Amino acid sequence: MQAIRCQGLSKRYGSIVALDSLDLNVEERVIFGFLGPNGAGKTTTLKILTGLAKPTSGSVWVAGEEVAPNSFALRSKIGYLPEEPAFYNWMTGREHLAYVGQLFGLPSDDIERRCDELLELVDLSRDASRRVGGYSRGMRQRLGIAQALMNKPGVLFLDEPCSALDPFGRAEVLQTLLRLKEQATTIFMSSHILADVERVCDVVGIIDKGKLIVESGVEELRQRFAHPVFEVEFEEPATAFVKTLGSLPWVVGVESEDVSGLRVRVRDVARAKQELPKIIAESKLTLRQYQMVLPTLEEVFMELLGNRKNG
Amino acid sequence: MASFLVLFRKELRGQLRTYRLLIVVVVFLVFGLGTPLLLKYLHVLIPADEAIIMPPEFTATDAVKGYLDTLNQVGLIAAILLAMGTVARERESGTAALTLSKPVGSGSFIVAKLAVLALVFGIGIAVGAIGCYIYTVILFENPGGLNFVLANLVGWLYLLFCLAVTVMYSSFFKSQLAAGGLALVTLVALAGTAGLPVMEDYSPGALVGWAQGIATGSGANVWGALAVSLALIVLTTIMGWQVFKKKEL
Repeated sequence: MQAIRCQGLSKRYGSIVALDSLDLNVEERVIFGFLGPNGAGKTTTLKILTGLAKPTSGSVWVAGEEVAPNSFALRSKIGYLPEEPAFYNWMTGREHLAYVGQLFGLPSDDIERRCDELLELVDLSRDASRRVGGYSRGMRQRLGIAQALMNKPGVLFLDEPCSALDPFGRAEVLQTLLRLKEQATTIFMSSHILADVERVCDVVGIIDKGKLIVESGVEELRQRFAHPVFEVEFEEPATAFVKTLGSLPWVVGVESEDVSGLRVRVRDVARAKQELPKIIAESKLTLRQYQMVLPTLEEVFMELLGNRKNG
Repeated sequence: MASFLVLFRKELRGQLRTYRLLIVVVVFLVFGLGTPLLLKYLHVLIPADEAIIMPPEFTATDAVKGYLDTLNQVGLIAAILLAMGTVARERESGTAALTLSKPVGSGSFIVAKLAVLALVFGIGIAVGAIGCYIYTVILFENPGGLNFVLANLVGWLYLLFCLAVTVMYSSFFKSQLAAGGLALVTLVALAGTAGLPVMEDYSPGALVGWAQGIATGSGANVWGALAVSLALIVLTTIMGWQVFKKKEL
């Protein structure tokens, strides 16, 4: 069963094409990472999926409802965190959550209970009686996540949910997302923090200039779209070794983490497996570590978008 | 209806917490108390040897007329200042998107705002009117209770029209200044039409003169202006709602 389905979704602002025939399918109970450079069309897509913007053409279904502006049925089933969540600064954190609960028509007992749960979840219980105007950016982000969860949504849309959070806050939010997935919530999140996406997302879609370049499972994406990487570490500086590798046709690139630690991206993994140990032995350097690893999502992302820019 | 009540309560709390209600009440009270006081003691404030023309002795009618004049002039500015950002500010800051991503109608969103502004101005006018009435009775004589109440009601209706026009423009634009500027131009132009033949019976601006006429027991009833004003309040609210509904948040 699909939680989100887009068909031929396009959005134009005058002559600017923000989205170009986007087709997208997101299965239920998955965390979908929506990636792309700035201005790729991520926020526009999120706004269309939540009914806050109208597509120029195409159709969208979310949680079994066809997305249309002012669709109460849709809004009752989704949660939405904008990129920069805005609040009434004169309200306290608890008041804001209660207000959202009232908008969903929840009974007052449920609202009280849900406010306590959510404030606890986002670690804002101690600051619940403070005015939102005095909250830090991270606190506002956490309150934004809490309000998006008020109605226990079937589909949760998050626009850069971790962008304003410190590492502890990020870890907590990511844990929360994994818990929500276990509770049958589908999560659609855009993010620039690829390490976070890699950590929690089952499927990612990469968009550029309004077009979906790829939609795939994270593992599959790493296998399919990026060159394998060999991590090599020596006791001594390896400047000469780097020069040697740079001249080999089956080597795509060498990145130095420091003078002695290298990430060697290769084009032909079989040849690399045969030849790299020999070259290491010939270099007379003292080997500390040698292993083949899968590329990171960031490397896949850079490769895919880099190829598009170059091609 | 349920979401309207939630939004109405939120708006009202917002007016209280941001001191807007208090400011409106204080402004109207100052003019309510100040007008009869000023007219009573004007000749004391201007020493006889410095005055070129001595002001006449003012009456209770003059005090009420002066108060209603001020009510409409200051009220118009206050209405524009308070209402010009009511929707535009929320669109610009993103709070409108946060609210309207929930099961809430854009109609409820707009109407709740206008209803609370109408209530805030109603409270402000009521407090100002009570102040004016008490001081007029103390300093002059009883200006006639029922007529005074009716005149204030008509004055409130005129300001409600000003609020509706400003809220409509606020729904059209993201910029508060654009909304306020256009509202000012529209309302001043409409007030001007109250002096034109035929229009004097139908222009919302005619309500100002009618309120004074009721208070002073002079002038004719302009039921046409009342009907047009009510119709325009409804029409501008619908227009604001329909345009806002199509906006992307």
